[in-house]
Amino acid sequence: MKHKIIIAGLIISGLFSSCQQFEDDYLDSPAQSTLDAALIFSTPGLAKGAIDGIKVPFAETNSYRGRFLPYYGLNTDTEWYNTSQTAGDKADLCVYDAKPGNTEMNTTNNAYSMMFSGIERANVCIKGIRQYGNPTPGSEMGQLLGEALTLRAIYYADLIKAWGDVPARFEPITSETLYLPKTSRDILYKQLIADLGEASTLVAWPNATAYTNTVEHVNKAFVKGFRARLALVASGFQQYPDGVRRSNDPELSVANMYALALKESREVIQSGSARLESTFEGLWRKYNEENTTAGGESLWELPFADGRGRMLFTFAVKHTAASDQFQANGANRGGVAGPLPTVFYDYDQVDARRDVTCVPYKYGAATNNIAKQELGTLDTWYFGKYRYEWMKRYVTSTNDDGVNKMYMRYAEVLLIAAETANELEGPGAAMPYLKEIRRRSFPAASQAVKVDAYVNALTSKEAMFNALVTENKYEFTGEMERKQNLIRWNLLKAKLDEAKVKMAALSARTGEYADVPTTLYYKFKTDNVSIDIYGLNRGENVNPGATYTAVTWTWTGTTADAKVNSLYKAGVNPDNRQFWPIWQVFIDGSNGQLKNDYGY
Amino acid sequence: MNFKELLNKGANFCFKLVFLLCLLIGSQLHAQNTTVEGTVTDAAGLSLPGVNVLEKGTKNGTSTDFDGHYKLKLTNPKAVLSFSFIGFKTIDVSAAGKTKVNATLTEDSNNLNEVVVIGYGTSKKSDLTGAVSTISGNDLKKVPVANVAEALTGRIAGVQVTAAEGSPDADIRIRVRGGGSLTQDASPLIIVDGFPINSMNDISSSDIDSMTVLKDAASTAIYGSRGANGVILITTKKGKDGKIAVNFNMFYGMKTMAKQIDVLSPDDYTKWQYEYALLSQTGTKVASDPSSYTKYFGNWQDQDMYKGLKGDNWQKQIFGRTGEVQSRDLGIRGGTDKLNYNFNYAHYDEKAIMIGSNYKRNNLSLALKSKLNDKIDVGFTVRYSDTEIDGGGVNEQNEKSSADSRMRTIVGYAPLPVAGLSSDDVSGDGSDILVNPLRAVYDNERQQFRKNFNMLGSFGWEIAENLKLNVDLGLDNFNNLDYRYYGLTTYYIANAPLGPLQGMPAMIMGDSKERRFRNANTLNYDFKKIMGENHHLTALLGQESINYNSNTVTTTIHGYPKFFDFDKAKTLTTQGTPQSVDNYYSPDDKLLSFFGRANYDYKNRYILSATFRADGSSKFLEQNRWGYFPAFAAGWKISEESFLKNTSWINLLKVRASYGEAGNNNIPVGQQVQIFQSTATTWINGVTSIWAPSKTMPNPDLKWETTVTQNFGLDFGFFKNRLSGNFDVYKNITSDLLINFPVPGSGYDFQYRNMGETQNTGFEATINVVAIEKAKYGLNFSFNMGINKNRINSLGVMNNFGAATGWASSQIGDDYLIQVGSSLGTMYGYKNDGRYEVSDFDYVGGKYVLKSGVISTATTLVGDGSALKPGDMKLKDVNGDGKVDLSDKTVIGNVNPKSSGGFVINGNAYGFDLMAAFNWSIGNDVYNADKIEFSTANASAQYKNLNSTMADGKRWTNLDPATGQLVTDPAALTALNANTTMWSPYMRTAIFTDWAVEDASFLRLNTLTLGYTAPEMFTSKLGVSKLRFYLTASNVFVWTNYSGSDPEVSTRRKNPLTPGVDSSPYPRSRQMVFGMNLNF
Repeated sequence: MKHKIIIAGLIISGLFSSCQQFEDDYLDSPAQSTLDAALIFSTPGLAKGAIDGIKVPFAETNSYRGRFLPYYGLNTDTEWYNTSQTAGDKADLCVYDAKPGNTEMNTTNNAYSMMFSGIERANVCIKGIRQYGNPTPGSEMGQLLGEALTLRAIYYADLIKAWGDVPARFEPITSETLYLPKTSRDILYKQLIADLGEASTLVAWPNATAYTNTVEHVNKAFVKGFRARLALVASGFQQYPDGVRRSNDPELSVANMYALALKESREVIQSGSARLESTFEGLWRKYNEENTTAGGESLWELPFADGRGRMLFTFAVKHTAASDQFQANGANRGGVAGPLPTVFYDYDQVDARRDVTCVPYKYGAATNNIAKQELGTLDTWYFGKYRYEWMKRYVTSTNDDGVNKMYMRYAEVLLIAAETANELEGPGAAMPYLKEIRRRSFPAASQAVKVDAYVNALTSKEAMFNALVTENKYEFTGEMERKQNLIRWNLLKAKLDEAKVKMAALSARTGEYADVPTTLYYKFKTDNVSIDIYGLNRGENVNPGATYTAVTWTWTGTTADAKVNSLYKAGVNPDNRQFWPIWQVFIDGSNGQLKNDYGY
Repeated sequence: MNFKELLNKGANFCFKLVFLLCLLIGSQLHAQNTTVEGTVTDAAGLSLPGVNVLEKGTKNGTSTDFDGHYKLKLTNPKAVLSFSFIGFKTIDVSAAGKTKVNATLTEDSNNLNEVVVIGYGTSKKSDLTGAVSTISGNDLKKVPVANVAEALTGRIAGVQVTAAEGSPDADIRIRVRGGGSLTQDASPLIIVDGFPINSMNDISSSDIDSMTVLKDAASTAIYGSRGANGVILITTKKGKDGKIAVNFNMFYGMKTMAKQIDVLSPDDYTKWQYEYALLSQTGTKVASDPSSYTKYFGNWQDQDMYKGLKGDNWQKQIFGRTGEVQSRDLGIRGGTDKLNYNFNYAHYDEKAIMIGSNYKRNNLSLALKSKLNDKIDVGFTVRYSDTEIDGGGVNEQNEKSSADSRMRTIVGYAPLPVAGLSSDDVSGDGSDILVNPLRAVYDNERQQFRKNFNMLGSFGWEIAENLKLNVDLGLDNFNNLDYRYYGLTTYYIANAPLGPLQGMPAMIMGDSKERRFRNANTLNYDFKKIMGENHHLTALLGQESINYNSNTVTTTIHGYPKFFDFDKAKTLTTQGTPQSVDNYYSPDDKLLSFFGRANYDYKNRYILSATFRADGSSKFLEQNRWGYFPAFAAGWKISEESFLKNTSWINLLKVRASYGEAGNNNIPVGQQVQIFQSTATTWINGVTSIWAPSKTMPNPDLKWETTVTQNFGLDFGFFKNRLSGNFDVYKNITSDLLINFPVPGSGYDFQYRNMGETQNTGFEATINVVAIEKAKYGLNFSFNMGINKNRINSLGVMNNFGAATGWASSQIGDDYLIQVGSSLGTMYGYKNDGRYEVSDFDYVGGKYVLKSGVISTATTLVGDGSALKPGDMKLKDVNGDGKVDLSDKTVIGNVNPKSSGGFVINGNAYGFDLMAAFNWSIGNDVYNADKIEFSTANASAQYKNLNSTMADGKRWTNLDPATGQLVTDPAALTALNANTTMWSPYMRTAIFTDWAVEDASFLRLNTLTLGYTAPEMFTSKLGVSKLRFYLTASNVFVWTNYSGSDPEVSTRRKNPLTPGVDSSPYPRSRQMVFGMNLNF
């Protein structure tokens, strides 16, 4: 009996305690290895971690790192995919013939979805900081909110740039907003321009705070410059589902947007917080050295870590050997794309930008881990802006080089100011900006002619505009900025066709390329690695002597024709293929909400 | 109740029991008055140990010793003795005036009185109304394997057991009636002594008394939420009243690789390399002797030096060692009706066929059960298991890159050493172009330690007559320590660490701890007193709560010194640079349930049962938290009806029907609300960790997945049950499927959702035939089969979506299709149409131009990327639009078998016993990815070997062996390939066609055992009650047309949507075991 009582007591107390537990929401089991949004977004140290989280999707495997940066921006009248003539999914992306099932892109983890992943993270941060963080201009939280707004605008701007209209997501996703149709890019542009306007009041100028002394963090000069760029794009020509035109939205008129762009770019210039690097080569050396100190020319960079990112892996001067004295990034790195063969010859011979931008050699097989420069062929050039040789770090990853993407630099701000000033105030107002660009590019001795006289002669609005279009090419070849600019000027097909004609002329050595030498001579310099080339400049036609080795520098016949014509796919009008199609997996996964426009 | 308290209580309790035991023994020694003794034998005259002998109407009893002899002091000289033994009919013999009473027990042929463990109770087998199958521990014992689950292969109708590959710790996939879930694990719930566990790996087969599989919802609904994919109940051995009985079993065996992939000989390999080098030239081309060939192999005219060379067999080097298995187990059981005990120790040690691959396990268990008095019994069980698994195997589910799959390196490695390219031994500097297979194995070392500690306490109290309370408490601690090393040749170290630490060894250590606490309280009431003789009603009411929590510490260390191997990296962690330490606490997984069951029968003819369970799970938010799962079943024992009762040949004829609902909440915890996770990253400059929402989108609307089962069955036993069995037909519909649904483009990768519906319909049959049953010899057969048809009825918002296996990184894309109207495991690809011949082209100006009228194929799919040419693979134009492109992808295979099953033959004669267990599967396809892999030479495949489907004489060739130049002339090319049948292996990319989908129907002789039991006259002299020796061969033969190494394979199983892929599997082995069973 005693047992019974004890046991009954135990059971009753057991039941009682379980009931009590039940009342205390026994079945609620909160997450443990997590923090509350309220805590994260009210504590700057934690909120910064969430802002950093927005940047990770840049670096995801098939995002900016491996798919968007390597392909977007090709082909133009200055840059092309070096094997455009080899039919396939990779070339299709560059020759205006991408299809929704493109195997490079048609994966769920592709740039398209990673960009939305970044946008969602930004949306969560923006909502959280607004709700819990008390973001005020100048405060740490203000800076972070501004950064979140800016990063979101970057993702969105690139989405619109590559795919045209896309769904609008400016709030964290809920079950109701999981599937959305496309939104007109006019609405998106207006939101982004407004967001960047807000961000510019929140973030600090370069070097104004410790946080902004690196261009891996968003600063006011970048926000304003980027806002100016977006204003031009929003009001420029572009392909809408109903054809190529400017926006019909009065808010996005040329008058409004150019005024905005001019105002923003002038404020950056006047701030003195950024400047041109003193030499063009110095700029690119600094970039390859991974010097991210703010206050120079670079305004903001995609902050790839050492072991992530494929800028050099894709675009650098080619290295054949899996490892040599400059890199151990694997065999045949770099050289996927390069300048058109004509670009080098279009530069003024003394333009400092020429030899930095266009490189005719690659690095060959390595002996005792030392590779030497090797002349390639006339149809294959490399972007000299990206060089393992200039890096301070020795790359060991087999898949990534870790060099940042310079997303925007001060020279573009100057050219935006020039273009908008020319439009709104006349060529005279544009001249100082263009002169500043050119002054850096030419040696002192040539400046009177090449800078002052040249610019002063641009007295009509049209002449100035055309000069700016050309300057854009000299300044930005290899930075994949050209395509969007050609589109907004409504010059994409015209310039591509022009480039074809020019390449044909180079191939035949007629017209403006009649005096381009057909033989190159080279010898190794004293370092026994780099080569001294004679014959690249027009008129260098005399054999420099027995110490040099001669190389035929021609590019003719059906293969040359085929390659010239591969600049864009035969039968395709690039003006009607300004965008990539949205990849099939995203169409399929959209619950019927998405479709491809633009004739896809 | 905390752990310490429980332990204290347990220890205290044990002490008291031992004391009590001593007292009992003492009292026996003093009683010597009216004594009766005798021997108990079976019908054949063999003595029976362990028979219960009871003085009827008292509690005075004993049991026979190993000679079948007993001695009992009687309290009443006119007593009647009752002899009982499991499996035999109980007899009563009067002992009046006798001092010696011998008894002969006859076997109880009606094994339908066998008691079967069902959820929260037991039932007589003949009273079952649901679809329930059992397998006894004795049957398991005859199959010496590491994992108990494997022993179920082919034994139970409707239960498909497939080992994913041949490694000793391979995942065993169990599917009961096809499994309903789509993207979630459709594994059945596994319950050991009432306690849910994750895997059967940690249970020793020697410790198992019986296994019960509950297949229909009428049986599983008592498990409510978790029963939808079937329930496997494992009951471990308990103490038995009677004298001490000791079992000792051991076996020793050897294993060898069963089958390997044939590769090219050195002669053929170099010939192919020469052709590859010619074809792959870029830039300035040469007509012969391209440098990428001559660099390693010399000039073409010297290629004949490779003729007749015998190549290195790398598969044999890696998998060729003779594996060894050793097992020993010791069981001691005994006790009295007051206290009994069962102690079990088992040790299993396997050296597997792959170098560096070992498996060791120790199991220790003790079960105590005591009847404190008439009303109260208590039990306590402790189980401990300790497993060590060495070796990284051949692939892994959480791989960093499919490039590290070891089979890839092993099969593709050059068959001969070539300086700078390959070598015979592990070259330390890693300078060779190809990765040495041995090195690949050492560079992917792994070691896992699992410890499982389980304690169960139970308490039963008969509160009033026929009213019994059972309280179960259990605590389970599981610890898994996983060391994974990444050596110099792995993808991981070249890419994942920060720049300065790349190219240096790395290690990831995972240490996870899981704790589970369970409390179940049930009340049973038997209404027999109330309802009269013809009516029999029992009822069960219960309440259960399970709380599961876990945390995992993942430590990532990069940048070890380059010469560090696995052992050094494991023990000298400070030599590396810590990348991250992540101590992740999962949200608790809690379950609270209330349930009830009523069984009713009328005159033992009409049986009705009803169950109901309500489950609340912490995985769902409040409004969806509770799931309610009712079930009903009815049975009619026709054989008990008066019109059949006298038909002597019918022993049992029963029809039964059931309807029930069961649930499933098998998704990761914490999916209902958005949480911020802190994650380490190495991708962004100056950032070591970030805060971000999970990549899986939360879904506050998640609710239970529900399976509705309808089952109709027939049980029969004829001719004194010499012919028995059952048939079942069923239809399971699973709705509100919990799907890990891809939401690409939304900002998240996946979202768990309730959407769609699947259906499994099928038929199962089990037939047992006792052909011969004599004292000295016997023969019986059992046969089972299951036919299951899986169909996706709905996918919610869409009609189909694709899934990619990713074995070839991103080359192939989606190769499985999940589509309404078809079944899970539908393969999706192109139809192969052979190859393009010379005659398909016009030869114009040195180029091959496809003739009009010949279907063209996109060059992104076949060929080397340039224009189509003779020798390229040809695909079928499925949609008839005159060309082959992405839109010609179609359904090309299905992994689901039309039927599967097994049969077992048991025979015995004069001490010898023979058992042969077969299992088979008909109509299932396997996706032979390795066949594609090793017949495709893409840009990154230079210097890699091919399989023999691409041997010289079979593959398309462009090489004129005489001149060493490529042939382009149409006539010459036609002549060169007059006898070849395959396309050219020189292809830009791997492509999935129906050529790689193979019928994997098979018949396997899984186990063949021959045993001999020493005669009793011999053993009794040794004081041994039973001594048996046996020889068992496992995986004796597989009869199949499948060309890969084994038709039972599934290596891309991380995603349940892509079953049945044969990509880099651990090869199966064949095993021969010699063993001994000893009882005394």
